[in-house]
Amino acid sequence: MDAFVNRFKGSSTFLADEISMLDGFGSYDAVKEFSQPVFEIPAVQNANCTDEKSDSECRIKIEHGTTTLAFKFQGGIIVAVDSRASAGNYIASQTVKKVIEINPYLLGTMAGGAADCQFWQRELGRHCRLYELRNKERISVAAASKLLANMVYPYKRMGISMGTMVTGWDKTGPNLFYVDSDGSRYKNDVFSVGSGATFAYGVLDSGLDYELSTNDAIELGRRSIYQATYRDAASGGSVRIYHVEKEGWKFIGLYDVGKLHWEYCGL
Amino acid sequence: MSILEYNGAAIVAMMGKNCVAIAADKRLGVQLMTVSTNFQKIFPATEKCYIGLAGLATDVQTLTERFRLKINMYKLREEREIEPRTLSHLVSTTLYEKRFSPYFVEPVIAGLDKNNQPFICGMDLIGCRDVPRDFVVSGTASESLLGMCESLWEPDLEPEDLFETISQTVLNAVDRDCLSGWGAVVHVITPERVITRNLKARMD
Amino acid sequence: MRAKAEIPKGGFNFDNYRRNVFLEKQGLGLPKAIKTGTTIIGIHFKDGIILGADTRSTNDTIVANKNCKKIHYLAPNMYCAGAGTAADTEQSNALISSQLELHRLATGRQSRVITAVAMLKQMLFRYQGHVSAALIIGGYDISGPSLYNVHPHGSSDKLPFVAMGSGSLAAMAILESRWTKDLERDDAIELAKDAIEAGIFNDLGSGSNVDINIIEKDKVEILKNYAKPNERAVKEQSYKYKRGATAYLKEYVREFIVTEGDAMDIS
Repeated sequence: MDAFVNRFKGSSTFLADEISMLDGFGSYDAVKEFSQPVFEIPAVQNANCTDEKSDSECRIKIEHGTTTLAFKFQGGIIVAVDSRASAGNYIASQTVKKVIEINPYLLGTMAGGAADCQFWQRELGRHCRLYELRNKERISVAAASKLLANMVYPYKRMGISMGTMVTGWDKTGPNLFYVDSDGSRYKNDVFSVGSGATFAYGVLDSGLDYELSTNDAIELGRRSIYQATYRDAASGGSVRIYHVEKEGWKFIGLYDVGKLHWEYCGL
Repeated sequence: MSILEYNGAAIVAMMGKNCVAIAADKRLGVQLMTVSTNFQKIFPATEKCYIGLAGLATDVQTLTERFRLKINMYKLREEREIEPRTLSHLVSTTLYEKRFSPYFVEPVIAGLDKNNQPFICGMDLIGCRDVPRDFVVSGTASESLLGMCESLWEPDLEPEDLFETISQTVLNAVDRDCLSGWGAVVHVITPERVITRNLKARMD
Repeated sequence: MRAKAEIPKGGFNFDNYRRNVFLEKQGLGLPKAIKTGTTIIGIHFKDGIILGADTRSTNDTIVANKNCKKIHYLAPNMYCAGAGTAADTEQSNALISSQLELHRLATGRQSRVITAVAMLKQMLFRYQGHVSAALIIGGYDISGPSLYNVHPHGSSDKLPFVAMGSGSLAAMAILESRWTKDLERDDAIELAKDAIEAGIFNDLGSGSNVDINIIEKDKVEILKNYAKPNERAVKEQSYKYKRGATAYLKEYVREFIVTEGDAMDIS
């Protein structure tokens, strides 16, 4: 990596006038390229296309139903999500990947608009990589999540829908942040996001203990998502679980809820 | 969201060879929240005739009781069981009476008449009867159900084959609908017996 | 209360009205009823009247029935093709048909077409277009063959040829170019068929098959599915599931007592 960076060291690529206010990395910046529409009130115009709340006849009904959760415990962080994508009442897919692997040490989760989450977290991944190249050091989870929050904030009330958790392991240890398209950014030990979040919290809070073993923590995450898929019509498919540890995140497994139910029933 | 989508349902009836089948899911929801997974949507009208009601749950139960009264009064007055076709007209006029303040229910009727001839009938919420020779669907998963029916159904299915066909139709249709599923029940009505089976389904 | 439950008073009932207005205010959209979306026509020919109709009924963009009946019985010498809200056309016809039957029993005479038209238009006018039935009434009575159409608001016309429904423009184009006085029976049937087919092919609300009714003096011929220009292709394979493919949790069998041969003598 050093050799790669050294090649560009002192090159004119990084002139001050090219450094954007937002981050100043590289010559191409999707945030700048993502041009704002020219009409007068973009907030209202755009929201009508995608926002079901303000306009029931909205033309694009994108994924809204989801259950995602993440929590800290002695072994790091467990991230568990469902895999259903719905458009209105129609189930568009049961095999969606709602965990976005930003880099080997950072994970993002998806709730709200699928395209919004994917685009912005891809963008976040790019920024994190550039940070790494520039500073010869991995970005902290706090900085990465703040980058994401700052990126989407200028588009507030323009129809972007994103509720995400950014997790990872950095110098300070395991970290867990919640970032959404309203611009909120919170740090906590437990989060659940999406239409099934209330159901997941019910199980999660009753079973949560910092001293949980890794296996028990995985089981708690799995059970929480399963219960949410049972009660929430917009969540379902499979439970996808990740474990964030010191060496980076690890994919634990994918569990079909259709089978999981009968296992829990003892049938 | 439409009122018909408030609680969620999927009902289908199919014609077979000297038999009929009717199936429904078991979910009762309040919009996206599943409240019950054992909600009855198909009710016996007579020995060989069943009626399924998809739509607003409060109207499903109100109408069930109203139909029960009307069917019993018919039996007392006529001293015979009501025929499926007659029942379909009874249901139709009951709904059309409320043309301008409807019950939010789309009924499906399936049964064998006194000569054991199969009869199925679907209706919209103001009682427009549809009496096809193949299948009828109703509820929030109706589009998926139609797709499944169009590909799986064929004429002259024997009771056991009809069971497989209608079961797979309903199971696969509700897997593409958020608001229905969580188990299903199937009734296959033949001249000799009614076979009722609770299907093993995805619970999400 | 008991009498009310046993014998309906007749007329519409508005018991649910306030509740439904309340539900609508809650933001729950009112569902749509099945429409016929239709092409219907009626023409005079040398010896009588021909009524024609397509056989598609629609529920918004979904075809609710591919082969429905839109030509309804009014009296032995009189039929009526209906377009609009399917339940309205069906129930209006059933109501008038039963009144005509009683009228025949009271007077001992054949029903006249104008009687049926008057009853229908008076009823439709009373409901100010809310009963949305657009009808073509054709019959042969003491004054010979006659053909009327009635609009949902209660107006009517007496015409030599007429088309109604969403496909009426396509059908009328054919009728205007080809209809002449004193058409031969076979030519008239062909004209009716072509007019309906114009609706089937050019109007998305109409489709499937052509139904034809020929009403002559003391004779009615019903040609259900006279033409089938949209036959479904034969399935190349069977998608039948093998017996035992479906898993079930519980089974209840309700055996009937089947009496074979003569019932037991209990006199």
